Amino acid sequence: MSDRLAVDTVAVGDELPELRRVMTREDVRAYAEVSGDSNPLHLDDDAARAAGFDGVIAHGMFTMAHMASCVVAWAGEAGWVERVAAQFRAPVPMGAEIVAGGRVRSVDLETGLVTVEAWVSMLAEGDGVDEVGWPVKKGEVVLRLT
Amino acid sequence: MNPAVQGKAYPDVPFVVDPERVDAFRAVAGQVNGRATGVPPTFVTAAEFSVFPTIVGDPELGLDFTRVVHGTQEYAYERPLVEGETLLVRARIESIRERGGTGFLTVVMELVGADGEVACTARSMMIERAAGER
Repeated sequence: MSDRLAVDTVAVGDELPELRRVMTREDVRAYAEVSGDSNPLHLDDDAARAAGFDGVIAHGMFTMAHMASCVVAWAGEAGWVERVAAQFRAPVPMGAEIVAGGRVRSVDLETGLVTVEAWVSMLAEGDGVDEVGWPVKKGEVVLRLT
Repeated sequence: MNPAVQGKAYPDVPFVVDPERVDAFRAVAGQVNGRATGVPPTFVTAAEFSVFPTIVGDPELGLDFTRVVHGTQEYAYERPLVEGETLLVRARIESIRERGGTGFLTVVMELVGADGEVACTARSMMIERAAGER
């Protein structure tokens, strides 16, 4: 049971608990439906191959949502997200495990603004702990702790 | 892509922050603690997608969507969103740049509340890969 996050107990360099999930077609279909992004790249292997991928890939935005969930899980009810940004890099194939993480980069005691440097890395199937790509690099989340 | 389209604004489109859709998004995105932690910060991608087909299909823009990948994305909030509220999605093409046959398109979407104030600004940068490139 963790204490409610507070601006006077958060420190620069604090690492957020990682959030992991394995990408499945069902997840990606569900994301396509709820987001409205039904680009065939994410739903149809043939369309994905025609675009140069080995098969369907997850939406970049899905990995960004996962990154945001990691930060929101850490912040809990202590604040809200004022800004979230991400740069998309490696495409995420089905079966890949994505790992979202973050580190506190700055804390402003007066405004309650906490900036978190965030990312999503990816482990390939059966690859142990070797990281094989970065679905999201240069992610940033700015929280306003209330 | 047609660089002359830079600055073009699209008609406003309404978007409702539908509580059921927000719940569904929380479940898919893995956001814990339900409503206590508010509307998921990337939920408004759904608002973008209500306007996106118009931009992607705009013959004046001339985008080849089969060659497009998402480069970067950001959302900046002036205030938390309220479930059930109706926002107006106001989209415009902020910039079109080209380098070595690769096109870079930046679209800005402002989500405007019923009070006329911008609640959230979304900025998407899309990359249209050069023809023939994998």
